[in-house]
Amino acid sequence: MKSLFCRRSAAAQWLAALVLLPALFVSGVTPALAVGEEIFQVQQGFKLVPAIIMVALLCIYIGVGFLSKVSSTSGYWVAGQGIGKWGNGAAIASDWMSAASFMGVAGLLYLKGWFGLGYIIGWTGGYVLLLCLIAAQLRRFGKYTIPEFLGDRFNSNGVRLIAAGVTVLIAITYATAQFKGIGLICGWIFGMSYTASVFFAAGVVCTYMLISGMTGVTRNQQIQYVVLISAFLIPLWLLMRKAGGTGLLPQLEYGSIISDLMSGKTAAGQLDPAATARLRDTYLPWGQGDFYHFIALVFTLMVGTAGLPHIMIRFYTVKNEDVARRSVLWGLFFIGLLYWSSPVYAAMGQFWNPGGGKMVADVIILSAPERAGLGSTFIGYLASGALAAGLSTVAGLLVAGASAIAHDWYATIYRPTCTDRQALRVGRIFTALLCAVVIIFALNPPALIAQIVAMAFAIAGNTIFPAVVLGIWYSGSNKYGTLAGMIFGLGMTLLAMLGWIFKIPMFSGDGILPATSSALIVCPLVFLINILVSKAMQDKLDKESSRRGDNILRKMHNLPGYIEEQQAPGKSATAY
Amino acid sequence: MTEEKPPIYINFFKPSTAAIRAEVSIARCVLLFWFFLSYAIPGLIWLAGQGDPRGMGESFITHARFLGFPLHYWLLAQGCTLGYILLCKLYCELWDRKLRQQDKEAKR
Repeated sequence: MKSLFCRRSAAAQWLAALVLLPALFVSGVTPALAVGEEIFQVQQGFKLVPAIIMVALLCIYIGVGFLSKVSSTSGYWVAGQGIGKWGNGAAIASDWMSAASFMGVAGLLYLKGWFGLGYIIGWTGGYVLLLCLIAAQLRRFGKYTIPEFLGDRFNSNGVRLIAAGVTVLIAITYATAQFKGIGLICGWIFGMSYTASVFFAAGVVCTYMLISGMTGVTRNQQIQYVVLISAFLIPLWLLMRKAGGTGLLPQLEYGSIISDLMSGKTAAGQLDPAATARLRDTYLPWGQGDFYHFIALVFTLMVGTAGLPHIMIRFYTVKNEDVARRSVLWGLFFIGLLYWSSPVYAAMGQFWNPGGGKMVADVIILSAPERAGLGSTFIGYLASGALAAGLSTVAGLLVAGASAIAHDWYATIYRPTCTDRQALRVGRIFTALLCAVVIIFALNPPALIAQIVAMAFAIAGNTIFPAVVLGIWYSGSNKYGTLAGMIFGLGMTLLAMLGWIFKIPMFSGDGILPATSSALIVCPLVFLINILVSKAMQDKLDKESSRRGDNILRKMHNLPGYIEEQQAPGKSATAY
Repeated sequence: MTEEKPPIYINFFKPSTAAIRAEVSIARCVLLFWFFLSYAIPGLIWLAGQGDPRGMGESFITHARFLGFPLHYWLLAQGCTLGYILLCKLYCELWDRKLRQQDKEAKR
C-alpha cells in the first residue's frame, strides 16, 4: 500500500487539475449556502499568520517524512526495527488522530455534554477489545489486508469482495468527515464559504498526495505525533489561564469549570435560571439521550474500533507479538492524552459561549479560543494541527480504499493474470474516483463530524468485527455463514445510514436504531446469523475450504500441523 | 497435504488445548474488567438516577465532587480511559506470566 502512495504522482496530478479548476470557478462566485454555516460562527476573512503557520506546519509534517525516507531505504517498518513499543504506540496514536478526534469529539462534547463522553469511552475501550480478541492472533497470521485475511480463512472470493467493498465504504464515510473538518479549517484560515473551501481542501489534499507521492514520503509517525499533540495541548494551557485557572494542568483544572457550568457560572457571569437549567441538564447523565442510546453508542464505537481495517493493519506491521501487545498499551496512552484534552475544549466552549448550539459545535476548537481572545497565532497552530491530522488521514484512507479495489478485487478476483503495472493504474483511477465521491458527500455532510465517523464505525462493527472474531475464535464458522452475516450487517447499517439522511425517525439520533449506534442490535444478530448459517451449511462445505480454514486456524493459535501456503508470485499487497 | 489431519476444534467458550485455554483465560479476565468499566459504570449511574423524577439521572453520583469534577463526569471522561490503559497493562503482565510459565514447563 505504501508504494501506491509513493508512485501515484500521475494520478494525483490529474486529480489536482480536475479538482482545482472547479474550485477556482466556485470560489469566485459562491453565494452563502446553508450547508457549512459553522463558518459564519467564527471570525471571517483571510488570516495571514495562521496561513503562514499552516504552510510551515505542513512543510514540517511532509519534510519530516522526507528526511526519514533518506535515512531508511528498505521501507519504514522494515528499516525501523529498532523502534520499540513507545515508537509504535506513537505511530498508532498518530494514525488514529484525525479531524474527528481534533474537532469532532470536542464539538460533540460541547453540544451533548455528558452524553458526548460516550464517544471517548467508545474510542478508547475498543482497543481493549482489539487487544484481547484479535491482535495477537492476527499478528501470527501475518498478511497485509483484512479482505485478504477473511478471503483466505474462509477460502471465498465472495467474502473477500464484500470485505473489500466494506473497506471502500468505510474509507468514503470516514474521509467525508475529515473533509468537512479540513473544509471548515480552510474556510476559517482563508475566509472562504464552505463550498469553496471543500474544493480548496480537495486541492490541498491532492497537493499533499502529489508532494508526498513525488518525494516518496514515508510517514514518520513518531515526530508527526509530537507535532499534532503539541498543536492540540499548547493552546489549552493558555486557554485555561484566560479562564482564570493556573494553567498548570488543564486536564484536571477544568473539573471546577464543569461544576461551575452546572450552576450556571460562565465567562459572561451568572446565567438566567432558564439558561442555567438548560446547561445543567446538558451535563446531567440523561439530559441529551437516554441509557439505551448511550450504551448503544459506546458498544458500536467499541466493536467498530476493533473492526476498523486500517487499525488492525497496524498489527501486521510490527516486529513481533510482544511489541504488538505493548504498542497497544502505549498507543492507548498517547490517544488518552488527546481524549483527556478534548473535553477541556468543550468545557471552554461552554464557558465562553454557552448555548451556541449545533452551528458552532464542529468549529468549537476555533471558536472557544477566539472568544477567549487567544490570538490568531495559537489558534492558527491549533487549526494547522487539525488540518495536518485530517490530511494525513484522508490520504491514508483514499489509498487504503483504492488498494482494496486494486488488490483484492482487480488483481485477485477479476484479472488474476494482470501485471503489477495494470493493477497500479487501476489503483490510481480509483483513488481519483473515491476522492470525487468524497467531495460530493462532503459538500452536503449529513451530520456532525464525529457522528459521520461513528457511522463508519458502525459499518466496521457490523460487518468486519463479527467475521474476524468468529474467523479467529470459532472453527465452525465457514464462508456461507460469514457471507450471510456480512451481507445482513452491511445491509442493516446502510439502511440505518440512509434512514438518518432521509430523517426517518426510527434511524435518527433518538430512534430505535440510530445510524451512529446501530451495532448494539445488529452486531449480535450478525454473530448469530454467522453461527447458525455456518452450522446449517456445514455439510455443503467443500474439502478445500475446510482444509484451508483449518490450516490458518493452526497458524493463528500456534498449533502443530500448519503447512505453509503457496503464494502466487508477485501478488503481495505491498506492491500497491 | 497428502495426509488427512483431523480438523481442529476452536471455540472461545470451549478451549480445546492448554495453550488456547491459557490465552482465553487472560482474555476473559481482562474482558470482565472491560465490561465493568464500559457498561457497569454507566449502569450504576443509571440505577442511582432512578430516583430523579425528571428522568435526568440526578443522584448522589452527580452531586459528589472528585478533583473538582462532578463524579459522574470524571468517571467517564477520565476514570474509564485510565482504566482501559491499566487493563492493557494487565493484559501484557498476564501474558508475560503465561510465557514465563510456558518456559518453565518447557525446561522441565
